[in-house]
Amino acid sequence: MSTLKTTLTGYAGYRGREGHWAFLLHRITGLGVVLFLTIHIVDIAFVYFQPALFLDALALYQTTLFGIGEIALIFCVFFHGVNGLRIAYFDMFKPGLWSIEMQRKTTRTTLIIAIILWLPAAVWMVRNILLHNYGIVLFGG
Amino acid sequence: MEVRMRIFRFNPEKDRKPHYDVFTVEAQPTDRVLDVLEWIRGDVDGTLAFRRSCAHGVCGSDAMRINGRNYLACKVLLRDLGTTEITVEPLLGLPVIKDLIVDMGPFFEHYKTVMPYLVNDELPADGKERLQSPEQRERFDDTTKCILCAACTTSCPSFWSNGQYVGPAAIVNAHRFIFDSRDQAAVERLEILNDQFGVWRCRTAFNCTEACPREIKITQAIAEVKRAIQTGRVE
Repeated sequence: MSTLKTTLTGYAGYRGREGHWAFLLHRITGLGVVLFLTIHIVDIAFVYFQPALFLDALALYQTTLFGIGEIALIFCVFFHGVNGLRIAYFDMFKPGLWSIEMQRKTTRTTLIIAIILWLPAAVWMVRNILLHNYGIVLFGG
Repeated sequence: MEVRMRIFRFNPEKDRKPHYDVFTVEAQPTDRVLDVLEWIRGDVDGTLAFRRSCAHGVCGSDAMRINGRNYLACKVLLRDLGTTEITVEPLLGLPVIKDLIVDMGPFFEHYKTVMPYLVNDELPADGKERLQSPEQRERFDDTTKCILCAACTTSCPSFWSNGQYVGPAAIVNAHRFIFDSRDQAAVERLEILNDQFGVWRCRTAFNCTEACPREIKITQAIAEVKRAIQTGRVE
């Protein structure tokens, strides 16, 4: 079995617990942030090389599809950040916290904290998409 | 109870690619997965290949993936799986030799790289034995329990994606000697593990700790080795 096939088989098929899912989510959210940074670096480069394209890029970002992508991006940033802090704290300062009970509990807590941080931003961004793209006023119009 | 066993089959002398065989077996809820495999091999299909030796969770030879998770087949009761549909597959990340038997060679090669033996060239003070306090012995007690079954290493996403990673089992066995007050090669072992394919490849996915049939706190042991490398102190 090739390495890639083994990896994907394991990622998708292995019946791990919270740690496995946290690892996968950490990786996916990390890739999401890298994707955003790549797009962002490219669009900022347009300012210097192709100013007209930069305005097109801004218009593209205001579409509903990109708006939804940005909402996902905010979740990626919060989950990756909070989970990264948890792992760094355990690994660098408190190795004794790497027990099965603590791992399961803190992974769930990390997800809850990330969602709590993400929700206000997500609600505000949904409100803006509805307002600017569809003229629907949810609140604060 | 009737269980439906779906078993990974691969015979390199006949098969171009693996397939699954299904066996319907009458068994007791308190039977172990190993008992069912033994029955299939003994009474239904003598060509089924799997390793087993002590059959009591000590030798570590029957680690395999059961319903997508690494276990020792001799330590899992059917009733604990919560289903009568059971899929048995070989460990992931090691080459399959036949059916459920994997080539443990790469696993033991990594194990050997961490010097998994006591290094001390000085004679004991009394010429007889190297004394150790109960506290000093307790420091590495957890990692002495490893039976080298490879359930941890083959549950690790980092090992799946790169077989050069030494893996959790090798680090556990390094930990066992690094934190042994009688040993004198901690610095060498820490240097070996201070590598991109050493402890830093650990992504704390925790599958190893969940899979260990001896309940070793593997991720904690790896973190302690990381910390010893960072601080330069073996505490």
